[in-house]
Amino acid sequence: MKKTYIPRLDDILQGGVPLGKSMLFNAMPGLMSDVFGYQIIAERTQIDKEIGFIYTNTRTPAEIGRVFEKYGWDLKTPLEAGQIFFVDSISSMMGVPPIGKYVIDDFEKSRDIILSAIEDVAGGTAIIENVATLIDSIGEEKTLELIRIWNEAASEQNVNIVYLFTRWNYEDQMVDRLISLVNCEVKLFGIEEKVMYRQVFVVVKSSWGKTTECKTFFEVIEPSGVKVFIPKLLVTGPYNAGKTTFVHAIAQDAVSVERQAFEMFPTTVGLDIGHVDYKGFSADIFGTPGQDRFDLLLEPLARESIGAFIVIDSTKPETFTRAKEMINMCRAEAIPKVIVANKQDLEDALTPTEIKKRMALGENVQIIPVSADEKRGIDNALDALFDMIYRV
Amino acid sequence: MMPKIKSGIESLDQLIGGGLPENSMTLVYGPPKCGKSIFCYHFLNQAIIDDETSLYLMTDYNLAQLEETMMNFNWMIHEYFLNEQLYVLDTASGAIGATQKESDTHKISSPQNPTEIISKIIEDLQSIYQKTHQFRSILDSTTTLFSYNSPILVIRVLKSYTMRLKLAGGTSIITYTEGVVDSQIETLLKASVDNIVHLDGNEITIEAMMGLDKINADYDITDNGIIIL
Repeated sequence: MKKTYIPRLDDILQGGVPLGKSMLFNAMPGLMSDVFGYQIIAERTQIDKEIGFIYTNTRTPAEIGRVFEKYGWDLKTPLEAGQIFFVDSISSMMGVPPIGKYVIDDFEKSRDIILSAIEDVAGGTAIIENVATLIDSIGEEKTLELIRIWNEAASEQNVNIVYLFTRWNYEDQMVDRLISLVNCEVKLFGIEEKVMYRQVFVVVKSSWGKTTECKTFFEVIEPSGVKVFIPKLLVTGPYNAGKTTFVHAIAQDAVSVERQAFEMFPTTVGLDIGHVDYKGFSADIFGTPGQDRFDLLLEPLARESIGAFIVIDSTKPETFTRAKEMINMCRAEAIPKVIVANKQDLEDALTPTEIKKRMALGENVQIIPVSADEKRGIDNALDALFDMIYRV
Repeated sequence: MMPKIKSGIESLDQLIGGGLPENSMTLVYGPPKCGKSIFCYHFLNQAIIDDETSLYLMTDYNLAQLEETMMNFNWMIHEYFLNEQLYVLDTASGAIGATQKESDTHKISSPQNPTEIISKIIEDLQSIYQKTHQFRSILDSTTTLFSYNSPILVIRVLKSYTMRLKLAGGTSIITYTEGVVDSQIETLLKASVDNIVHLDGNEITIEAMMGLDKINADYDITDNGIIIL
């Protein structure tokens, strides 16, 4: 087994990648699969003293050098020691002097040159960046055929070949065929509403060991590279809507900062904090106080969150304006959110349809009837929000 | 009434009912030296006047050159940039391998790395969206992207680019030099935008724009920029 040195990924792959296996990083446009590839080869050459090469048709070797530098990975030493080399398929097209053991000035020559490079790094690592450029330069059929041939050679030479692929608007059928050619597919995608704001990777396929479809949030940090990110979910809503009860219903270990209010029931003056593990998804939960003097807390929490539950008291339509105000204030309109229509166990509770009408919410806003007290509808609320977050 | 965004060319706005349709993508194309970039400068200058945020993807000049050229028309962008209302993505410096320090509003990329371009655009949109849901974007020019990438890849990238900008609420223009790619790709390019404006050096043609029939008019490029005659 070879490690990928991508946090969480080695656990999910049950230790790493067996010798000679191929991997595909299938990235939605806007996500940088290259960092994954560079991190793998950088850490392997440094920690395991491995050999390998980087084939590039998008960044010049000089640019790749700058990217390594940005993340704090040493490229110079392994390059000078001959531990790593480039297959440079970009410089000639850019009109700059090529750098690399192999230079490709015509995509048609890619097949044989990469086959030689694979032989050179027997037992090592090959990074192929970027499959999309190949597809649009030499065509789908030819590219798929090349990948089949390279994988065969890599398997014979015990080379772990890693393809970086930006999935522009290609036909699903072509992408499926591409995926069928590799032993392992890691999908990279963004969580988005109007703008993309969080990145996730998921192992969709692995020919060794089972795949769990476990979604890992990550961020790319300079220096250091891919880091796992524990997402936060926000629970907000007007005063006395039952936010704390809701937080405790979804996260059993939740802690609350409360004090006896002037009223007869306790109210949150700090935060409700908890952690939820649900269907392979892991998140920290933050519940905010509802009184407007705590509004200052809302915005920074919302900015850090990947989704929000807006808890409302279904028996108190007079608080709905406040709920809408809070949605706007926490910019929850830019992150996936569901409205938790709480206190459905009470007799005068309004139905979701009535609430939608009264709040004048858009058609696509989901309102989930819940009784946090009786723990009813809790899973529906979680399902609804997670479905929105992972809607890809 | 469809909401319009002023193009920055007053005489043109009169011709097209107030400006470009809000939250749409406009292609401005024509032969070299017909005024495509000047069209972009007008559009940017109007953003300054209207106190709007802009995202400017430049492939043939850097920020300093943009500032200098616009100054010739008496349009000052320096303060606007310092106010962090102008987000610049410069792939011209990247193409020549110039190393420059990046900042939140000034990023560098390379024309042959569309994955990185889109990734940086998304970063910018994240910060812009925090501030406003209505902004302008300019891409001058797709021609350079075509010369560094396979044309079909550029069309894919522009689809992704357009989708991102529209979702975030942007009103956008992109430019293209006529005849650089074959007619089939030109057709795909035109199909991926909402409005099409053609300039030929003498005549401006609104080939397509929501709610308008085809319009022709003569124009001139003066010290004050483009003027419809």
